[in-house]
Amino acid sequence: MSLTDLMSMAKPNLEAREKILRKIRDRALVNCFQCMKCTSGCTALKLLELKPSEIEKLVNLGFIDELASSDIIWTCVTCLKCIQRCPQKASPYHVIMALRNLAVEREAKVPEGYLKAVSQILESGLAETVQKVVSRKMETFDRESLKLPKINTPKESFQAVFMKAMEEKI
Amino acid sequence: MMKVSVFWGCRITTSQYAYEMSVRETFPKLGIELVDLGENNCCGDPVKSMNDFAANYLAVRVLALANASGLKNLLVPCNRCHFAISEAKAIVEKNSQYGEKIFSLLKEEGLEYNSSVKIWHVIDFLHDFVGLDKVRKAVEKLLKELKLATHVGCQVVRYTDLGRVDDAENPEKLDKLVNALGAEAVDYAEKLDCCGAALMLSHPDSALSLAGTKLNAVQALSVDGLIVSCPDCGLMFDSKQKDAATTAGVKLNLPVIYYTQLLGLALGIEQEKLGLNLNQSPVDKLLSKVLP
Repeated sequence: MSLTDLMSMAKPNLEAREKILRKIRDRALVNCFQCMKCTSGCTALKLLELKPSEIEKLVNLGFIDELASSDIIWTCVTCLKCIQRCPQKASPYHVIMALRNLAVEREAKVPEGYLKAVSQILESGLAETVQKVVSRKMETFDRESLKLPKINTPKESFQAVFMKAMEEKI
Repeated sequence: MMKVSVFWGCRITTSQYAYEMSVRETFPKLGIELVDLGENNCCGDPVKSMNDFAANYLAVRVLALANASGLKNLLVPCNRCHFAISEAKAIVEKNSQYGEKIFSLLKEEGLEYNSSVKIWHVIDFLHDFVGLDKVRKAVEKLLKELKLATHVGCQVVRYTDLGRVDDAENPEKLDKLVNALGAEAVDYAEKLDCCGAALMLSHPDSALSLAGTKLNAVQALSVDGLIVSCPDCGLMFDSKQKDAATTAGVKLNLPVIYYTQLLGLALGIEQEKLGLNLNQSPVDKLLSKVLP
């Protein structure tokens, strides 16, 4: 079989397609019949032009490399409406997440915020740093002054095990 | 007092303190003693985009910590944590090979997973577990003066196959919980619109624009406020309301409070204990209607 996108001369990467299909396990991507329910309800469509049905189509055809290096996969707001409404259980959400994972594995461009979250988890076990907050009357508060109890972060053994989990490939 | 373990996650324990304070204040008044998990680690939500195995490991670790507490019910007040943990639970229970890989990592830390823990969110815990009758009976001050809109959020109601806390397309439990306090909950077209929080990591302007647009629609309903029950929605609609207004190019002055803060007012708890001084949206308008 030979398929070429004549606009960009891109060829499908069927091996990568298999990888995505394996990753989404029982989510039946191949059953997508382009009904567009996902795209018509997509939160990210209006602002960022994400078209989940197009992603499904491109993955089915094998144009994975283009998607994995594109910013479009990072526009999904994970509202889960597409998977909820898909009549074919094709779940664009899971396909987009698998593409993001592939982009990370390939060390493609990943939004800073995600990298920061992971390094933060390695450091403290939490994805966020503890913040001081300001009341409407401009007084500053922290957990202690709000009389909130101390929350224990993970013990030391956590870091090494989390690193090991992060090394798991698609 | 019935003991229930609680997993707070990151956002609540690092900045959305009003949610934590109001849950901690209100639940004991309904006969629920909250027990913090021994440790608090990220639920895996932001890691799903990077490496979903590692994300599921983090989520299952939370469940293993809940197992260690010996309690059968786990309260997860954050929508995103609730989804991450519920999905990871479904995956490891369906796919034993995948599960075993995660369990063996847990063993390295002396943790063990079993499937006995039931996961609750604030909404279904109060609506189904505590029950509307008990909530109604505990009310000391009916909030009859208030007309409110509710925002239940995305990840706590979708996707249905996973077993979520309310109907995906027509969630009503939060409205009924508002009604139980004597206040009126209005239905509106934009009810299921997303707060945009997940985009803060990659497209913050779009995220704020989504929040601002929804807030503007709710404001047009002439309600006294918007009720949320997720720390990410609270962040976008309350903490970042000013930024959302600027980005969306609209004027906003809509009070946004957590359901548990509203509940606390109805239960007669002092404002400060509910963190009502911490909300950044103009909640004083709402409070002056309720408090003499």
